[in-house]
Amino acid sequence: MNLQVVYCSHRASGLALRERLAFSKTQIPQAYAALKHAFPRAECVLLSTCNRVEVYTAQEDANQIPGHQDLARFFAEFHQLPVHEFFDDLLERSGPDVVRHLFQVAASLDSMVLGEPQIVAQVKEAYTLAQQHAASGPLTNALFQRALGVAKRVRTETGLAEGRVSIASVAVGEFGRRIFDRFDDKTVLVIGAGEMAIEAVRYLQDEGARQIWVCNRTLDRALALAQEWGGQVRPFERLDEWLAQADVIVSTTGAEPCLVPRDRFRLARQKGAYKPVFVLDLGVPRDFDPSIRDLDDNVFLYCIDDLQAICERNRRARQREVDRALVIIDQEVDRLMGELHHQATGPIIRRLREQWRQVVDQETRRLFQRLPHLEKDRADIERSIEQMVNKLLHPPLEALRDEAREGTPHGLLDALRRLFRLSDG
Amino acid sequence: MMPHTSLICFLASYLVAFALEIVRFRRTNRWARWGGLAFASAGLLAQTWYLLNRGHQASLPPLLASTHDWMLVVAWLAMLVYLVMAVGNSRLNLGVFVYPLVLLLIGVAYKLDQVPNTELYVAQARRSWGLLHASLLVFGVVAAAAGCLSAFLYLLQHRRLKTSHAERQGFQMPSLPRLAAANRWAFLMSFLLLTLGYASGLLLSFSAPAAGSTVALSEPIVILSGVVWLLLAAALGWLLIQRGPAGRQVAWLTIVGLGGVLLTIFGLQLVTGHLHRGGRTAARVGVETQVRQ
Repeated sequence: MNLQVVYCSHRASGLALRERLAFSKTQIPQAYAALKHAFPRAECVLLSTCNRVEVYTAQEDANQIPGHQDLARFFAEFHQLPVHEFFDDLLERSGPDVVRHLFQVAASLDSMVLGEPQIVAQVKEAYTLAQQHAASGPLTNALFQRALGVAKRVRTETGLAEGRVSIASVAVGEFGRRIFDRFDDKTVLVIGAGEMAIEAVRYLQDEGARQIWVCNRTLDRALALAQEWGGQVRPFERLDEWLAQADVIVSTTGAEPCLVPRDRFRLARQKGAYKPVFVLDLGVPRDFDPSIRDLDDNVFLYCIDDLQAICERNRRARQREVDRALVIIDQEVDRLMGELHHQATGPIIRRLREQWRQVVDQETRRLFQRLPHLEKDRADIERSIEQMVNKLLHPPLEALRDEAREGTPHGLLDALRRLFRLSDG
Repeated sequence: MMPHTSLICFLASYLVAFALEIVRFRRTNRWARWGGLAFASAGLLAQTWYLLNRGHQASLPPLLASTHDWMLVVAWLAMLVYLVMAVGNSRLNLGVFVYPLVLLLIGVAYKLDQVPNTELYVAQARRSWGLLHASLLVFGVVAAAAGCLSAFLYLLQHRRLKTSHAERQGFQMPSLPRLAAANRWAFLMSFLLLTLGYASGLLLSFSAPAAGSTVALSEPIVILSGVVWLLLAAALGWLLIQRGPAGRQVAWLTIVGLGGVLLTIFGLQLVTGHLHRGGRTAARVGVETQVRQ
């Protein structure tokens, strides 16, 4: 039994290379066709996300499993890239290390954001696609099904996935969703067009926000963002009006002097009838005067420092859970490897039992033909012979099982084949 | 035959469940959650048996049997509502607030008058009115407790959001709009039920005296309840004319108003040992003497 993974991930390779080696959804069928053509006897699963590109291969016969160079050639031919441009970035693992690697990936221990939940769905999707393209087999089925189980176990038995770790998710998840029950009836005002504003709006849209106003000094940028989000552009000159009407304000201009001083916001609050407002000030320096949070009970202001501190605390809490997750993964790796090795001995054991069964059948048939008066005791005789066979087979099979705990017992399997003349067919 | 259960049985169950809730409060733990629910359910079952047993012995429904039983019915109802909510929402860890209240109620009930009000409710008509009066008050009190809890949670959540503090891992509170809605509803329901409860109580006191015992309008509980009811009515009026969001003020008003109701009812019971003095006839004093001996 041979398992192998050749991969590049965010840990060792840059985004530019990962993008060149990645397989888009439309390329996946061609990739599986190419893999099957190149390695017809190998089971394959392709896992391609923005953080990693991995090709898992498995096969009973070690001689025909694709090697590191074979897979590098496959990447090169498929993506039309010279091998030397990426060969050093392609890493390889084999045997139990493959199992450990996949379990860590699925449990999100190898993710850029520790404990992020998307990776489980991505692993599941990769495995489903491999099944659909008839590229997976008994070994990869066992491996991926167990990986999904391990990810679930890690998630439920540790706190690895608890607490949000990105600024936008903390802002929306920990605060926004507690200020408002729903966002589909809320107006979101985006001032400026920083990266974090884009992420925050994505989270707000996931929560149901529909009405998005983009207010930017540069009209072209505002138009582009409004189009991307399905929002509307609002003139920057009338910012006070929008401040009064919005329920959620996301600001990232970082302008100097402060864009919204206390008095300006107080007037906006008067016009807005003091309704609850969730202000996300992601600008550096701040766009809103921090003292506006004391204007009335319904102003909820969050600046980047508040959110950063929570992210950091959550990240540290997750880090403390890594050791517990690794213990679970080690247990599961041992369990799966034991099962896989044991499975590898299955065909030999089956053939050995079949061979002995045939001998027993032949001999008992002959016995009852020669001594027909024994027919009345047939059941007892057959049971005794069966017990004898089991007792004789027990020591070699027990030895095989013991050896299989450490790895596929090739020597012992070979000895059994030769001693009992067991064919491979 | 009903199995014998004592107050200690369910008190101990709730104490264990409370300890497990504290574990959960510190850190998410599904074993603690299920363990807590199991102990709470066992406690509730034991409490149900206990109340039924007492009612059976006094030949009265638990609500009328005695002040002790009335208090235990309040605790029982609070536990029931809590259990339904806890099963429905695993992240809403309200146990840390509900258990102290329930344990306090059981503790107070233990100290209270345990002698049945048998002679107070001899007549069937009086018993029905009494049951209505007690039921309305019990539901009103539970609604008041729920109002106080939701108002307290509102203030906690508001403070957390204002000061940008992260949520605790083991304790997630509902959103402000939800808490405000719960708060408002609890206030209205509590006011309505308590009003009907007080009205039925007045009707009961005006009805024909039963077996020489009646409840006087000059009793402290009646006078204080009337004063608190007037304050509640004024608060309700303010609540209804409010325009715009005023969640925090409503929360404070709920705590003061409904907290006042709870303090009046429970405080007086604790001081006097019973809800009404009406049942203390010569015959009853004799029973009490026997019970105490």
